[in-house]
Amino acid sequence: MFLRILWKLLGASRGRLAVALIALTSGAAVCSALLNVNLDAERKLTQEFRTLGANVVIAPPAGGSEAALVDAAVLDRVAALRLPQIVATAPYLYVAANSGSQPVILAGTWFDQVAKMNSWWKVEGGWVSSRDDHEHCLVGFTAARQLGLAPGSSVQLRSGDRNISLTVAGIVTTGGAEDNQILTNLDSSQALAGLSGRVSLVQVSVSGTPSEIEGVTRKLADILPGLDVRPVRQIAAAEGTILGRIQGLIFWTIALILVLSMLGVLASMAALAMERRQDVGLMKALGGTVPRIMRLFLAEAGTLGALGGLLGFLLGVILARWIGERIFGVVISARIEVLPITIALTIGVALAGAFPLRLLGRVRPAEILRGE
Amino acid sequence: MAPLVQVEQLEKRFGEVRALDRVSFEVDAGEWIAIMGPSGSGKTTLINILGGLDHPSAGRVVVDGVEIGSLAERELTRYRADKIGFVFQQFHLIPYLTALENVMLAQYFHSITDEKDAAEALRRVGLSDRLSHVPAELSGGEQQRVAIARALINQPKLILADEPTGNLDEVNEAVVLKLLHELNEAGHTILVVTHSQAIGNLADRRVELEHGRLARISAPSLAKE
Repeated sequence: MFLRILWKLLGASRGRLAVALIALTSGAAVCSALLNVNLDAERKLTQEFRTLGANVVIAPPAGGSEAALVDAAVLDRVAALRLPQIVATAPYLYVAANSGSQPVILAGTWFDQVAKMNSWWKVEGGWVSSRDDHEHCLVGFTAARQLGLAPGSSVQLRSGDRNISLTVAGIVTTGGAEDNQILTNLDSSQALAGLSGRVSLVQVSVSGTPSEIEGVTRKLADILPGLDVRPVRQIAAAEGTILGRIQGLIFWTIALILVLSMLGVLASMAALAMERRQDVGLMKALGGTVPRIMRLFLAEAGTLGALGGLLGFLLGVILARWIGERIFGVVISARIEVLPITIALTIGVALAGAFPLRLLGRVRPAEILRGE
Repeated sequence: MAPLVQVEQLEKRFGEVRALDRVSFEVDAGEWIAIMGPSGSGKTTLINILGGLDHPSAGRVVVDGVEIGSLAERELTRYRADKIGFVFQQFHLIPYLTALENVMLAQYFHSITDEKDAAEALRRVGLSDRLSHVPAELSGGEQQRVAIARALINQPKLILADEPTGNLDEVNEAVVLKLLHELNEAGHTILVVTHSQAIGNLADRRVELEHGRLARISAPSLAKE
């Protein structure tokens, strides 16, 4: 009989319940979309952060001499870890050289890895795509201006009594130290400096949340005793801050939307409560206890909440895709774990919005049945 | 045998107004009592107190051994479900429930529902072909018969009817009175509030109120015959 009355209650005030359902569905849709975005955006954003440069550096021990170098074998040990979070690993050997009479810093590296972790660099001309390319180099914007170099130019570099000749593939603008350097193949720099098998430092690009980056840093430190393995604090902190702010924004937006939905439900339920006074008076006269009558109305509100949550979840998936494509430029996929959260939140909102129906428990049947 | 209803020095005040003033009478099981009097004489107040819908201000009301004045709200609710069957002038059916469901609603709040019993109660009042009709699809007389079936369904000790024919035409009034008479013949105790002398004459006794006081108790047995 409970379900029979509940079904009739849902059919009895379709107009008012439809308004409440629209409020609940709209709120649930936005919540579902934002929760989907939140779960996916964190993954997508951390991937995107990895195109913004390295966030972990492996260097000689702090306090050592400035000329201290790292054995290039560390690169094999890092690769052997096969950590999925490591997006790119780029060794750097810095060599003081001359181009004609002009001093210049050479940075020998792996071009393919540099390109992977610095895709935002502005390049005039072209990249050097292979780490085995011994003929081309990239020249920093400031260095190119000082040395009068352009894409296609040849540059003669000398260190001590060793020389190499390279063709400029592109001029890079990074806004960092690279603007003053010439980037060459690692082997070429090592040969020019006579430092075969040595590097100045290794930059590592690690994807994930700040705690995941800390975890990878610890693992690297464990397999590389005696070396200084540290996260680039500013980048890691900035990434953490951005993620934190996005999550905070999503949390407070969801809270606000839920409150607005609740107000919508509250307005409908207040009108419904006035309509139901007579029914409640009669139910009480027939021997219905307040908890038993309220269970009917709360079940009605809960059913609306569950239905609104389900519809809202489905609409939210569509909305999340739209937000993902428009704002993050990625396809955000539906996350099934958002469904129970959305339904639970919407049922909670519906029950809170049904507060006016609870006031019906105070109805005095004698007054209602007299027609007061 | 103790009377089914004992009313002793019953008072009900609404602020300064005495709706009932030291009213005393008794009703035996199986009696049909008409409560009569002009408007504002306290008839509905009396029936509300007997039905556990209102609290007495003073005095004592005992129904089937239960002193109503001492009951808490929750106990009064149980008392209404167990011992009272109401029939109202305005019928007071739930508009979105069918005739059958309106009867079953009383079962639901009493104990458990039994669709067969509810259908039988409606058959008893001549509505076996109206089970799935909602109140808006029924005439006034049919709605009142649904209300009577609902009042009967839990086998109450006392049926309280407040102007049960007040909103009915003559034909339907006769049908409802015949039903109440049959119920009384079957042993049900009935208290009917009415303005109608004709209905009052059908009762075993008439309890007449004036300005909240008991004016007289009479037995129109001759008129009934």
